[in-house]
Amino acid sequence: MTTGIELRDLRKKYDGHGGGAGAWAVDGVDMQIGRGQFVTLLGPSGCGKTTTLRMIAGFETPSSGEILRDGVDITDQPVTDREMRMVFQDFALFPNMSVAENVAFGLKTRRMKGRFDAAQIRRKVGEYLDLVRLGSHADKRPHQLSGGQKQRVALARALITDPEVVLFDEPLGSLDAHLRKVMQVELIRLHRELGKTFIYVTHDQDEAMAMSDAIAVMNAGKVQQFGTPREIYDRPTSRYVAGFIGHAHIVEATVADSGSSGMVVRLANGETVRLADPANVAKGASVGLMLRAEDLSLARPGEGELHGEVADSLYRGEYVEYVVELKGGAGTVHVHEPTDLEPFAHGAAVALKVNPQKAHVVGGAA
Amino acid sequence: MTQATLTGAGAAPGLVLRSARRIERRRMLMWLIPPIAWFTVFMLVPYGLLFYYSLGHAEDMRFVPGLSLANFVKVFTAEPYLGVILKSARIGLMTAVFSAIIAWPLAFALAFHTRSAATKFAIYLMVIVPWWASYLVKAYAWKTILGTNGILNATLQGLGLTNEPVRLFLYNEFSVVLTLTYIFTPFAVLSIYAQLERVPTSMIEAAKNLGAGGWEIFRRIVLPISIPGVIAGGVITFSLAFGDFVAPVLVGGSDSLMISNIVINLLGVAFDWPMAAAIGLVIITLGLGLISLTGWLEEKTQVRL
Repeated sequence: MTTGIELRDLRKKYDGHGGGAGAWAVDGVDMQIGRGQFVTLLGPSGCGKTTTLRMIAGFETPSSGEILRDGVDITDQPVTDREMRMVFQDFALFPNMSVAENVAFGLKTRRMKGRFDAAQIRRKVGEYLDLVRLGSHADKRPHQLSGGQKQRVALARALITDPEVVLFDEPLGSLDAHLRKVMQVELIRLHRELGKTFIYVTHDQDEAMAMSDAIAVMNAGKVQQFGTPREIYDRPTSRYVAGFIGHAHIVEATVADSGSSGMVVRLANGETVRLADPANVAKGASVGLMLRAEDLSLARPGEGELHGEVADSLYRGEYVEYVVELKGGAGTVHVHEPTDLEPFAHGAAVALKVNPQKAHVVGGAA
Repeated sequence: MTQATLTGAGAAPGLVLRSARRIERRRMLMWLIPPIAWFTVFMLVPYGLLFYYSLGHAEDMRFVPGLSLANFVKVFTAEPYLGVILKSARIGLMTAVFSAIIAWPLAFALAFHTRSAATKFAIYLMVIVPWWASYLVKAYAWKTILGTNGILNATLQGLGLTNEPVRLFLYNEFSVVLTLTYIFTPFAVLSIYAQLERVPTSMIEAAKNLGAGGWEIFRRIVLPISIPGVIAGGVITFSLAFGDFVAPVLVGGSDSLMISNIVINLLGVAFDWPMAAAIGLVIITLGLGLISLTGWLEEKTQVRL
């Protein structure tokens, strides 16, 4: 028996009118989310990530497929019985109640009747408000709080009933960039301290990378890749994932040599790059060579394996970003260079050194 | 002067600014003249006249000016005035309560259970469309439904439930309240809907997610949030029903005359304008009191999202 949440060939099609009707919003999602993991569903809007989360919560009924929890089928279980707590993007606090009453809500429902007396509820509310650092705001109304504070109330309200699984639907989406960073750290802390399963939906890849144990990159209703942030970033399995995560550029190439110690790929202009990646690709196959800006460095002509010309340079503060047109129109790549190095002029002929440990190929012709 | 310090560049620019402001103010006044004139001619002057009339008395159906509060004393002491005012208030209150009870589930369905915009529009239209028909026609319609040869009695007899027409349906307080409720319920629907519409679906979902059942969600979240809308709709339906004079005449019995009917009789039949004016002023004052009270209640129960 697996503990945690398991999704088996989950599908959802919305009927009726309006946008997206008739298409599969979620199109065969299989996933295993172990107990205590922090798993993120990442993808652009309309990729099915929120629908998947809402099916796990019980707000949507799957068209087909199964949702299992600790090996038990919960696909048809009503929302109220699932004992999973959701944190919403718009906070969804009850405006007619104080902060403390909001947090206590889950302990005061009919199904919880008799489990806690008034004193216990008061103590627990205080405890959880302290946990999200809102101890002094108990008597305020939601509208008197800032966005970040509202989301902390929503968090306390979700966590107080001690659920095994907490679901997050773009919880930081309506906060400003700075607050988002603060809340990310807060969420990681809560996950570490409480050891709950967190299933998190976002379109923000930085957020996903920073917080998750595992990321499911979704597109068009399907999971494109499910793995650790490092796997997703360094070893994407498809052009889609390679292009979606980070600043990667893909250059068309063919496999010139392939073995257990690595491979050599040849670009359209005849230049070759050696990769340590023992990808299982047959010799002669067309592939996309994924080159990330931070895995490349510029050098004088002759000192690297690829050659090109500086088309643009952008000063970014942390680094200088060069846009380099590869020789013979083989493609365009971006390179991040430290700002303290001698700058390369616009139009300068340059060589590119490729980090063989990090360069990676993704399958299939474009 | 603040204007001068704001420009901070000596007297000359400050003066220019000040004269510019004066022109601006004069122009603004020009825009304000029409509403002020309207308000004066159609509000202040009539109220003044009403007050002037109320202090006099009628002699041989002719108005005699005076400075007596006797008419106001009569409103509260002589029959039938106070009794009819109270009865009108009771009918108004019943109309408001029944309208709210009918309107609430409809407004709720409209706000939360109508997914497609087309259905929402259709329901909305069905609520509004009766207002395209004349009030009189609608009141008459009830007469044909409830009357001795009406649809209701015909149906009951057709089904063999009664042998002869039931006369209890028409010409009493029941038929007045029924007709008024039918006519004014749309106002309650719209004001309750306007309030419920502010509640995001996620709030209901959050409550379910926290384990609350339908009844708990209704009692602890949706109902409390809807209260200001219920009050607003209640004030409108109460006021409209309280001041109504058509339904009592068409579907009411001999004893269901309301205060507006009394006022009309005083004006048009008895030519006792001072008495009518006094009743009018008492009702306006009561109305002001009611609006202040409910306004305060609405403010107090309103939630901020």
